[in-house]
Amino acid sequence: MTSTSLKVKGLGRQFGTVLALDNFSIEVPKGELISLLGPSGCGKTTALRIIAGLEKSDAGEVHLNEKNITNVSAHLRNMGMVFQAYSLFPHLNVSENVAFGLKMRKISRSERTKRVNKMLELVGLDHHHKRFAHQLSGGQQQRVALARALVIEPEVLLLDEPLSALDAQVRTNLREEIRRLQIELGTTTLFVTHDQEEAMAISDRVGVMNKGRLEQLDTPDVLYNRPTNDFVASFVGTMNHLPANLVNGTVEIFGKTLPTQKTGNETGKVNVLVRPESIQVTPSETSANATVVTRSFLGAASRVLCKTDDGTIIHSLITNSSSDSLHPGSKVKLEILSREVMVTNV
Amino acid sequence: MRNTAESTVVVKGASSSRGALHRLIKQIPLPLLPLFIFLTIFFFWPIGAVALKAFKDNDGAYTFTNIQLLFQDPYRLAFKNSISLGFISALVGSIIGLILAIAIEKRGGIRLKKFVASISGVLANTGGVPLAFMFLAAFGPEGLVTNFLKAIGIDLYEWGFTLFSFTGLVIVYSYFQIPIMIIVFSPAVSSLRREWQESAENLGASRFAYWLRVGIPILLPSFLASFLLLFASAFSAFATARAMTVGNIALVPLVIGSLLDGNVTLNQANLGYALALGMIVISILAMVPYLYIQSRTSKWQK
Amino acid sequence: MKKISNYVSKNILSTTILLVAAFFLFLPLIGATEFSLRDGGPDRHSFRSYKWIFEQSGFKENLGVTFKVTALAVVLNLLIMVPTVTWLHISGQKYRRLVEVVTILPLIIPVVALATGAQTALPSFLHNTVLELSFMYVVIAMPYSYRALDIGMSGKPLNTYVAAARNLGASWLKVLLTVITPCIWPSVLAALFLTVALSLGEFTLAQLLHWSTFPTWVSNVSQENILGATALSVGSLFSAWLLLFGFTFFGSNKTDSSKDKE
Repeated sequence: MTSTSLKVKGLGRQFGTVLALDNFSIEVPKGELISLLGPSGCGKTTALRIIAGLEKSDAGEVHLNEKNITNVSAHLRNMGMVFQAYSLFPHLNVSENVAFGLKMRKISRSERTKRVNKMLELVGLDHHHKRFAHQLSGGQQQRVALARALVIEPEVLLLDEPLSALDAQVRTNLREEIRRLQIELGTTTLFVTHDQEEAMAISDRVGVMNKGRLEQLDTPDVLYNRPTNDFVASFVGTMNHLPANLVNGTVEIFGKTLPTQKTGNETGKVNVLVRPESIQVTPSETSANATVVTRSFLGAASRVLCKTDDGTIIHSLITNSSSDSLHPGSKVKLEILSREVMVTNV
Repeated sequence: MRNTAESTVVVKGASSSRGALHRLIKQIPLPLLPLFIFLTIFFFWPIGAVALKAFKDNDGAYTFTNIQLLFQDPYRLAFKNSISLGFISALVGSIIGLILAIAIEKRGGIRLKKFVASISGVLANTGGVPLAFMFLAAFGPEGLVTNFLKAIGIDLYEWGFTLFSFTGLVIVYSYFQIPIMIIVFSPAVSSLRREWQESAENLGASRFAYWLRVGIPILLPSFLASFLLLFASAFSAFATARAMTVGNIALVPLVIGSLLDGNVTLNQANLGYALALGMIVISILAMVPYLYIQSRTSKWQK
Repeated sequence: MKKISNYVSKNILSTTILLVAAFFLFLPLIGATEFSLRDGGPDRHSFRSYKWIFEQSGFKENLGVTFKVTALAVVLNLLIMVPTVTWLHISGQKYRRLVEVVTILPLIIPVVALATGAQTALPSFLHNTVLELSFMYVVIAMPYSYRALDIGMSGKPLNTYVAAARNLGASWLKVLLTVITPCIWPSVLAALFLTVALSLGEFTLAQLLHWSTFPTWVSNVSQENILGATALSVGSLFSAWLLLFGFTFFGSNKTDSSKDKE
């Protein structure tokens, strides 16, 4: 069994009347990159800051390598943290910034220089030693922040939405680099973000959070295909919510009766959750049940928005083929490709 | 088009050659002419006159006598006093102002900061007779504060305290120096980002280490700049000094004032200009570094 | 729990410091006010000294002089600075650095030295009227009024507004009236106010150029009657403070629209 690196038990935190964290627990095994994903206010940043020691929790404990560090000061926890922005010291150049943590640990100057140079090379900034923060782009600044946090060889790397303030292109590139570095150095990492694409792209596992609680912690694959509740289902990827009637645990949708995850005799109005790629779109004149509203060409695939007779907008994702003739106004027949669907109560 | 006008404008109007002046005027765009003409007549020309006349004697010939006299008493004493006053007042004002600025930042709150900004703006412009008399009335022999202190056993005047002294001046000056400090230094304090403190902590710095390695180095330039400004402010003050001293402390502004009032002896006709030039030089020595530091630190204070 | 007690003690310390500062701030003022209200001794109080102020012959006259000088200073200041700064911002700010440097120069020169120069260098016809002070006041106010106008206008993309208005069909006059003026109005007010505040209380230039304005009159009159002088001082202080405080509080709301950019 891999030794657990970071373990958090029952964290609770309240700000006035707002419950930021509600019995939050998570285990991050050594060397894994786990993302905390959720909307603003879900508590992910609060959890991270408590782990870093920058804030105190009202309840719960933080353990690192089996040791209880709940009451240990932030500066003694040996964790590296990367903030969203503005964290580089303005009065120190890049080298000095990166060397800061080493200086605090009383590492000798020669050793410091060696490690700093190696780390700057790793993040691709080896020609920027003497630059200052205001002379660097946002992406470069974050790479320096990353180098600064990693050079001290921390027990855990904590990242608080490090890419949120950057341009889209830079974001995509930098997240790959973070993942590459993390794997190369084997650093246990906790990554906080509200961007589900980001979390899904680079994590070993993703923990979806909502209102202070951890909803589901799983690999991206499981989260996407087997969400355990409506929130997770809707937050991760695009999800269609199709109104239907639940009768004895089945629903009728697009002319087919499909079983749901609900067993028993439950009856009532529900929403059927269907992924865009699980909807088949066929041009049809006679048995059409929807009309195409827009079509967005995405290269190998297209996002087709359709509208049913009762006004519901459906997102579908189709593979492009030279023979399809779908354009705005086309009449189409929609079908669900899955054999079982998930429903949520309305 | 490179703007060479900038470098030549600083030269005092009277001492540029005709040709340079012509070129200079040609480079200024029409809409800016009113401003430049105005400044030339009412600023550059008077300053130039001071610079010129400082080196002239009664007959209009050029001489260094006036300047040389500056280094002799009683003028040397006046400069010494003015510089000391500037320095000490700046020290008191900057340290107390620093403490208050930090306390305000710690306490936080938009309303408090707005209130402080308004009050500081008001107090920073308080001076002269009203300020002097306010203190004289409150701390005078019959004043409320004096009586109050007497009641609790402290007899100020027994200790030889008087507002008409160097110490008294420093105390009164603080009334506007401290607000100036708060106004000028607060932006630096509020520019200390929380992320820097948290990053430092995260990287292993204790509170002390943070202040030593991050907080103080970042604040130092602004503190120095503010100090320089306070120095220039106390050094150049005239109205308050005039109201607070009864001729017992020699200060350069007061000496100039007395010379301009006509208390002149024959050889001293142009001494006033020399004194004024001395003031200008010292003021420039303080203010130019101040402006330079301010323009540099504003880069990371955005 | 440690962090919470840290927070509380930090706040207590800061608040204490501020309260102590406030105490020392108001102490002289309270003492002086009490003194000015005295009527024959520390135990009897009345507004006698204040009445005395208004009875003085020089009061109205010198106040009038100061108002005149202030009015002209404001007019001159706005006349010169507003078009200049507006043009700077509309024309693309090429000369902005230059003007910035030039307008900060008066700050570097002590007023005493400037007065010394003014005494000898100003055109002689100006020396015949107290209004020569107005011109000098514009110079001293320039660093502040330029900054006020510049900062006020920097918050708004004047270039873009003008271009948009012209594109939508407005003539230059309409642009000036309906786009430029409302945009720069708050900063114009700020500059106006700064000039007023400065002119009302200016002593050095008036004294050294041997003119009688309200501040110099106050100084002279203070030699005779200490109670009256104190009343005068307290009165001036209160009026000035009320004015300044009222404006910065009320005025800052108007200029705050530039903060939306954050």
